[in-house]
Amino acid sequence: MTYRTKLLTSAAALLIATGGMVMADAHATHPETGVTLATDQSFTYSILDDFPSIDPSLVEDVEGASVARDLFEGLMIENASGEVEPGVATGYEVSDDGLTYTFTLRDNAKWSNGDPVVAADFVYGLQRAANPETASEYSWYIEVMGVANAAAVIAGDMPVDALGISAPDDMTVVYTIDAPRPYFPQMTTFPTTFPLHAATIEEHGSEWTKPENIVSNGAYVLTEYVPQEKLVRARNAMYWDNDSTIMEEVTALIINDSNAALTRYLAGEIDFVMDVPAGQFPRLNAEYPGEALSFPNSCSYYYQFNQSDSGPEALKDANVRRALSLAVNRDVIVANVMAGGQKAAWTFTHWAISGWEQPEIEAASMTQAERNAMAVELMTEAGYGPDNPLSLEIMYNTSDSHQSVAVAIGQMWKQTLGVESTLANQEWATFLNTRGEQNYEVARSAWCADYNEPSTYTDLMTTQSPYNDGRFSDAEIDALLQGAKTADDPMPLYQQAEQIASDNAYFLPIYHYASVRMKAPNLENWPTENLLQNWYSKDLYISASE
Amino acid sequence: MYTFIAKRLAVAVPTLLILIIFSFVLMFAAPGGPFTNERPLPAAVMDNINARYGLDQPYWKQMYDYVYNVVFRFDFGPSFQYRDRTVNDVIAQGFPVTLTYGAWSALVALVVGVSLGIVAALRQNTWLDYLAVGITIGAQALPNFVMAPVLVLIFTLWLGWLPGGGWNGGQWNHVILPVIALSTSYMASIARIMRSSMLEVMNSNFIRTALAKGLPMRRVVMRHALKPALLPVISYLGPAVVGMITGSVVIDVAFSTGGIGQFFVNSAFNRDYAVIMGITILVGALTILFNLLVDVLYAWVDPKIRY
Repeated sequence: MTYRTKLLTSAAALLIATGGMVMADAHATHPETGVTLATDQSFTYSILDDFPSIDPSLVEDVEGASVARDLFEGLMIENASGEVEPGVATGYEVSDDGLTYTFTLRDNAKWSNGDPVVAADFVYGLQRAANPETASEYSWYIEVMGVANAAAVIAGDMPVDALGISAPDDMTVVYTIDAPRPYFPQMTTFPTTFPLHAATIEEHGSEWTKPENIVSNGAYVLTEYVPQEKLVRARNAMYWDNDSTIMEEVTALIINDSNAALTRYLAGEIDFVMDVPAGQFPRLNAEYPGEALSFPNSCSYYYQFNQSDSGPEALKDANVRRALSLAVNRDVIVANVMAGGQKAAWTFTHWAISGWEQPEIEAASMTQAERNAMAVELMTEAGYGPDNPLSLEIMYNTSDSHQSVAVAIGQMWKQTLGVESTLANQEWATFLNTRGEQNYEVARSAWCADYNEPSTYTDLMTTQSPYNDGRFSDAEIDALLQGAKTADDPMPLYQQAEQIASDNAYFLPIYHYASVRMKAPNLENWPTENLLQNWYSKDLYISASE
Repeated sequence: MYTFIAKRLAVAVPTLLILIIFSFVLMFAAPGGPFTNERPLPAAVMDNINARYGLDQPYWKQMYDYVYNVVFRFDFGPSFQYRDRTVNDVIAQGFPVTLTYGAWSALVALVVGVSLGIVAALRQNTWLDYLAVGITIGAQALPNFVMAPVLVLIFTLWLGWLPGGGWNGGQWNHVILPVIALSTSYMASIARIMRSSMLEVMNSNFIRTALAKGLPMRRVVMRHALKPALLPVISYLGPAVVGMITGSVVIDVAFSTGGIGQFFVNSAFNRDYAVIMGITILVGALTILFNLLVDVLYAWVDPKIRY
């Protein structure tokens, strides 16, 4: 080959190569939105704490569940607005009594090693989570789902195959539940119910989730996990809907300090920050418009009044509790203390819960001046006033933001009602012990939804709820919520229960959570509408910058 | 000398045992447990977990099993918080990280600190001395939880030279900022100790004799003054090196290194009993080892000391 021809051929090769690239770029648009895609489809997000586990049977935190949803796929999945869509199952049928769910699996679902995903894998997954030997903290979720015999299996009184799930053939999963639950299909999007590859788990034991061992059936496979530093997952070529996946690689960085995470976001090292420091939202929103996002986050922040025998006498008086509740200016707490898009709370149930409509709570429509006037009246009626001031201790777990809220509320009580409050804080585990043993007067609490339905909150208001740390008991609420379990339309019953709780101020709802995140402008399709913030990397993509 | 080392190692065993017993007592005295949640677990679930981790056994039995497994199987047990991992995994992953940036920090602190101290002592009450003393006081007054974010602000956000965190298998550009942040205050302490000890040595009779005999300054310092002046620095180094190679919660959190330092605090908050014990034993063993090393070094540096 002469020098000249060599030059010509390499020039041609170059032309073809670059031409090809231009072609590829021109074609790389999102099939639905038509947005031009960036050539590098990878994104990095930061989380605050390392995953306690990514084993679907053991997953116990929100971030671990996000990883599990990428690596595995359950019977059903959620779309960007939180609606249930077919996952491994193509659909399901409910029996007339609402107690049997029959899911039909798709025939092209595969594990990352090429094995087909069969019904027995789902049975194995659920049985493993319920098995006492697995000792899963989330085994209680199977009870919440109402799967037949769940409690007995978890307690070790029945063998695991007594659990209400079976596989009559490779393509059919049948769930038997103890009472009708309209939201049951939605619960199969939760990691505890995911299918598992039995052979892999039996071969590797507790090491099976290591990248070199794991076999999974989701849109991604685990490629790297350095504890306390990062977890990387890459597109799974075996996934049945792999052709629709755009995002190639996803990296989770574990950054224990939310300020450090924010700095690294600003330096361009991270595309998405899960936890932005409290109170920074207004500034970030002004400086980086469109990048600071506030989502409703289905948790409620409230104070519990100790109404048990060990609690102060004053808190057993409904007038005192109502006065204390009325005197708290929630708008100030939401706008000035939290400042992250939270909403003032008058009910326990989070405002954004699916189908929830807040009952007509009288105080909610009053001005703060009216509430204060009413609070003073109620307090005087109860026999407390300037001559006989009430003193209370507010207990919270050590944290700057809980302290700010406690200081604000203490101040409001003092100004309006003359209540002398002292603040006490305890380290987390100690605090939970103290509150659980009713060694407090007023204690900070929060509750997060396990599923998108009001009973996830209202169940706590019953007498027998182990989470009712205020130890209040109202026969009417108990009856309403018992009725709600079998009612065709339980919503009015939930509303009445909330109304009664509010009238008696059994607890003090303060605000409904919102979470503040930072999102790079070119990271598209983040499911802002999904209340439980269940996101799937397969739905995300990076748009080309203009 | 060898009998001395053997004796010290023999004493180390009961020392570690006492450390284990004491930590166990403190651990069980703290309210709550590894599975205490905002949402208390149902009793049946809790029973399963307690049985799985042996937490249903009496305290003495738990302690006995633990010591037995550590001594005879070198198994430090499973982590309660990170359920896919054992304590051996946690240490095997995190300790090399802190060892790397800790060893570099120790080296930097020693070299820079000793040099600054010598310069300040030899040029006492000149601008060089004031500068060195100024630097050390500044370095010591600036806590590393302030220094770390400031370093990130300068080198990552403004200059864009170095990454703001992560470890990346110990790639050099990820190591620099943690080393600066960690070594600075140790460096300052070493410089101050070195300066005062050097001043004392330079004013002693044997140095005056050496100078009077007409030896050049450089030779006097390097041959005669340096060794005795290093003694206090060496005794400081023992615990300091252990402190550096076992990392720091501030460094690990600020730079997300994945090192073991953060477990000191986190495992206690999470009541991750096995990790608390594993790290306590690691730090205890290293402390004993480095104190022994310091004593051996002492004998080598100071001919007056014999064991």
